[in-house]
Amino acid sequence: MRLNHHRAGHLLSAYLDGELSPQDAAGVQEHLLDCAACREAYERLRTTKALLGELPPAEPPAEFWAALRAPQAPPRRRTAGRAPAAPDVSIWRGLTIVRRPAWALAAILLVVALAATPLIKGTVDRLHATEIGVDLYVREHAIQMGTGPLADRAYLGLVATDADLVLVGETPRAGAAGP
Amino acid sequence: MQAASYTPEELARYEAIVQRYARHVYNIAYRMAGNEADARDLSQEAFLRVYRALRRVEPGAPLESWLYRIVSNLYIDLLRKRPRHRVESLDVPLETARGELARELPDAAANPEAIFEREQIDSTIQRALGALSEELRMVAVLSDIEGFSYEEIATILHVPLGTVKSRLHRARQILQERLRPYVEARRRGWEP
Repeated sequence: MRLNHHRAGHLLSAYLDGELSPQDAAGVQEHLLDCAACREAYERLRTTKALLGELPPAEPPAEFWAALRAPQAPPRRRTAGRAPAAPDVSIWRGLTIVRRPAWALAAILLVVALAATPLIKGTVDRLHATEIGVDLYVREHAIQMGTGPLADRAYLGLVATDADLVLVGETPRAGAAGP
Repeated sequence: MQAASYTPEELARYEAIVQRYARHVYNIAYRMAGNEADARDLSQEAFLRVYRALRRVEPGAPLESWLYRIVSNLYIDLLRKRPRHRVESLDVPLETARGELARELPDAAANPEAIFEREQIDSTIQRALGALSEELRMVAVLSDIEGFSYEEIATILHVPLGTVKSRLHRARQILQERLRPYVEARRRGWEP
């Protein structure tokens, strides 16, 4: 079968690889005898293929092989040189505290005490502040609003801690226990 | 991990699969990604999948197609996950307001002596591969570096045979342009 130049050109690679039907291969072969341009193109393709085929295999680095070996084995994720028993040891190190309950309890109590101290102290301080705050308010109020501090029952009551004080010259209120 | 319950025989089988395929998987990943870190990640992820599916893998069954398809898919996923690193294929013309512009790669053989250095050749070929679109690169790697047949490549990549044929031809045409100094030197009789 006679092939035209264009068609033969497209088949050159497959011809080179022996991947053509016998009929097409014969057609290309016949064309090559007549066509210098296609012979030239064929030679260049052949040389290109040879150059690629001569590339040395890429050499994998050493760690590549180590990573492929048994992905489930613990040593793979460990640093090099560590004994395979290393994971067990580290697990027991983590659990050592459980084997000494007294120390564990003491440590927990210490942590709780350290954490709670500022909380408790803060609450006590706030309670103090509340008491003093009211007291201060009443004193201030009495001093500012009263005609005279000693004539103000609220102030005197506050000072003497007795709300039922009788001022000088005042008649005792009904029901109030008086002298 | 559920796999922790593998029997010693199953683990031995996994080790055998690693021994048999790891170099090829790594090589394909390296030639696709073009760097060691990505090649390592891709290969390790591929074998992690093998490991997880170990009980479903028939003992002694050929795993090439499956494994290389995993690598190929992982590589495509990797590209998708990196939108910031815009992947531009150098064989696609650059669109500008004044029309299309062809890109010009620096001439790797500006220094004639460099042509004969193996390392220089390898890195130039790797750069030329990296300049292909990932579709063309995958076909070129599987065919010309790993030596798979068109039918095997079609199975690995889940594409029709005709697609393999046309992609490979296109990839080689681009590569031979990029590697022209080396191709010409070889044709003049130089052997490395």
